[in-house]
Amino acid sequence: MFIVDCDCHNYWCSATVLEPYMDGFFKDMFVRGEKTGPRGAFPHGHRPWFHPEGFSRHDVNPVEEDDNYAIMKEKHLDKYNIDVAILTGDEPIEASTLANAHYANALCRAYNDYMIDYWLPKDSRFWGSIIVAPQDPKLAAEEIRRIGSHPRIVQVLVSHGAQRPYGDPFYHPIYEACAEMGLPFAMHLGGQGGVNSTPIGAGPSTFFWETHAILPQSAMTHMASLIAQGVFEKWPSLKVVIIECGVAWVPSVLWRLDANYKALRKETPWLKRLPSEYFKTNIRMSTQPLEQPENVQHLWATLEAMDGENTLLFASDYPHWDYDDVTKLHIPPAWREKVLGLNALDVYRRIPRPAAIAAE
Amino acid sequence: MASKQFACKASEVPADAAKIIKLGNLSLGIFRVGDGYHALLNVCPHKGAALCQGPVCGTTKQTDKAEFVYERAGELVRCAWHGWEFDIRTGEFLVDPRVKARTFPVSVESEDIFVHV
Repeated sequence: MFIVDCDCHNYWCSATVLEPYMDGFFKDMFVRGEKTGPRGAFPHGHRPWFHPEGFSRHDVNPVEEDDNYAIMKEKHLDKYNIDVAILTGDEPIEASTLANAHYANALCRAYNDYMIDYWLPKDSRFWGSIIVAPQDPKLAAEEIRRIGSHPRIVQVLVSHGAQRPYGDPFYHPIYEACAEMGLPFAMHLGGQGGVNSTPIGAGPSTFFWETHAILPQSAMTHMASLIAQGVFEKWPSLKVVIIECGVAWVPSVLWRLDANYKALRKETPWLKRLPSEYFKTNIRMSTQPLEQPENVQHLWATLEAMDGENTLLFASDYPHWDYDDVTKLHIPPAWREKVLGLNALDVYRRIPRPAAIAAE
Repeated sequence: MASKQFACKASEVPADAAKIIKLGNLSLGIFRVGDGYHALLNVCPHKGAALCQGPVCGTTKQTDKAEFVYERAGELVRCAWHGWEFDIRTGEFLVDPRVKARTFPVSVESEDIFVHV
């Protein structure tokens, strides 16, 4: 079976790997300036919840930079016969937490060049994400246009922690650039800190596990906002991928959106379809961490209600603590081929289909 | 075979709301749209609420951008409960025209409005 992992984190041991890709003022700032931790830390506004054990798997312990790929290859790519790994970086999405959008953009730009230069050539299974800092959508759009035509770049990526809901017209320059380059827009769980001060409704929760379970709240907001603000009317072919934000909440939010739209469609006259219909054509959800009810039928009924056969994309979240093993993914067996690989190929159009067909 | 029944006097139908009438067990709303009169069953196909007791209004025109063009003033009724908008003339729900409020033919003889039930 052809397997696409839509959330494979390419780690570094130290953010100093970015130094060769920076210059001028921002390089000075990165090398000598204050950071969130000692030398090698990536500058970001940290979230107020600390994972009691660190959020990486404890059997992944790189010492040198090159260990990161070697361990990923051995313990993930080769072991599970992953055919395509969409690299989602790791700390760089946290640039979204910085107040200085210029610095955030310079960090993302350095990461993108490093990723293209260091990671993509390492393995033919690798495809890259352009990470952008959404604080300044015009700078983000410039970055998307700068490298968006690279043949092995398949999406634009931000954190789901943000200063405002992603459908807001403030962000539309980003979608304009995505549409122009033919790239999906993805948001990955993260960016809960710094200027992104509202990751949790009703105020900050207390414990890490508690918080991690309810972080999908802000993804709900983004999903509703993208649909309501008409992003998919303006850019009908744009795909949005929501990564690591849970799945089972989607039908309930869509039901609520559809019900309210039926009563108050006049508030958003630019929409031409039900909210759930925009979801089905334009939004894709990554599976990990797939909810684990005691009775799997409860989950499957929910997944069916969101057309999961066509809207879910497999993701492992390698090498994090809530990693999903592709061989144990609890989805309806008849959906495996689509969810594990083929759906992703409909989203990431630069990945050639022949590779998938040859693997059958 | 529809039976012709007296509904109300034309002067009893306000310009901005329905005249609610009773015909046996049936509650109906009589509306004036432009020069003509129309009758809808006072039961919303959504949840059975008193459809015709909602406001008579217009709505925003479907557009391709963020603009608000008010149109069809006086041609729509918003259900009293959940606000679904219906075309008074056809009974069609604006979001999904397959959903229809029940309409009845109306005839007018001088000042008298009749509904054909």
